[in-house]
Amino acid sequence: MSLDLAFMQQIFPDMLGAFWLSVQISLITVVLSVILGILLTAARMLGGTLTKYVIISFVEFTRGAPPLVHISIIYFLIPEFGIVFNEFWTGVIALSLIGAGYSVEIFRGAIDAISSSQLDASKALGFTQVQSFRLVLLPQAYRLSLPPLTNELANVIKATSLLSVISVNELTKVANDLIFVHFVVIEVIIQLTALYLIIVGCLMFLSKYLEARLKF
Amino acid sequence: MEQMPRLLPGLIITIELSLIGFLIATILGVPLGVFRAYNPPIIFTFIIDLYVFVVRGTPILVQIYAAYFLLPLMGIKLSPFWIGIVALTFNSAGYQIEIARAAILSIDNGQYEGAFSLGLGKMRTLLSIILPQAFLRMLPPMANEMSNLIKASSVLSVITVFELHKAANAIISDTFKFLEMLFAQAVLYVVFVVLMTQLSIYLEKRIGTRLQIKNFSQR
Repeated sequence: MSLDLAFMQQIFPDMLGAFWLSVQISLITVVLSVILGILLTAARMLGGTLTKYVIISFVEFTRGAPPLVHISIIYFLIPEFGIVFNEFWTGVIALSLIGAGYSVEIFRGAIDAISSSQLDASKALGFTQVQSFRLVLLPQAYRLSLPPLTNELANVIKATSLLSVISVNELTKVANDLIFVHFVVIEVIIQLTALYLIIVGCLMFLSKYLEARLKF
Repeated sequence: MEQMPRLLPGLIITIELSLIGFLIATILGVPLGVFRAYNPPIIFTFIIDLYVFVVRGTPILVQIYAAYFLLPLMGIKLSPFWIGIVALTFNSAGYQIEIARAAILSIDNGQYEGAFSLGLGKMRTLLSIILPQAFLRMLPPMANEMSNLIKASSVLSVITVFELHKAANAIISDTFKFLEMLFAQAVLYVVFVVLMTQLSIYLEKRIGTRLQIKNFSQR
């Protein structure tokens, strides 16, 4: 098995373009899912029984079914309501919802881990519920949830590869097309693997850095 | 709804894929993870760490494509079902190495000291003191891994394995009832995943009580 380096150079611009698209999807998704996760967690902690059960069933649904199924559901469901997004935004919405479902669980776990005396203390100091959530619980939960959150965000980034099935031209789709056009496999797969390792490696590096900075 | 029986063969293949894949991955991954936990020579450490990094850093879809395209190039011809098993095993073994390693490392050092001071050998300590406790700690993350594997098996539809997602898609292209079929398969996946998680909680409780009773009676 010898590698065709000239061919690897030839396909590299195509792969780089797709890499950029994958990075864009990943970044938007990561930001949206964290924001949505925080909002849903807050709603779950502060809202009534109905809100709580709606959110719990949402979380169970995102955690229980495969991302491929969620992507298909959103891909087919949103046009039913007469709202038409392109594939890119369909993918981003699907992945953000999945990411949000997982982050709700992570944030809840982190908040549960903070002792309830913190809440009592903030109540005694006259904080409102929203204030104690925002000023007392969230900053502490942020530190605790960083390692599992990074894991989850890495999963979401890897799930962007699934968007190839709804014809988003991201990394895996382009690589797959290249394989079928040129009938060259190893060179494409090596580049594909390396590019994904770069994205996920960056995320892990960032999380190590943040974790080191946030140490108590 | 009358199409439900047509989903069953797909469901069975999904169950087979995830159970077989998980079993082989456990047989490969857990010993490797235990081995890795005891700081083997640098060359083994490096190889295992590199393997884990690649598995955790690339999407399952890429791993499946790699297995699908590379295995025939190496002269290994398998049916899509078994290619799927190979890909799932490759993926899951990487995660299980980490789970086993973390479980071993979480066992307190005093356990080793106690065992050695009672005159147990190294192997004996590992087998009858450390591993039983580590297995108990492995259960919850293993249940997580199992549900990830079940969900990853849906991706095998892209290499034409006729599992649940593929079966549902086939019915959709027959009948155009996509919403019903998508929700039906989602429900089936959720039920399967919840069943496996409950099983792990049950096992955890059972093994946990048995360990405690044993400890108690020895006291």
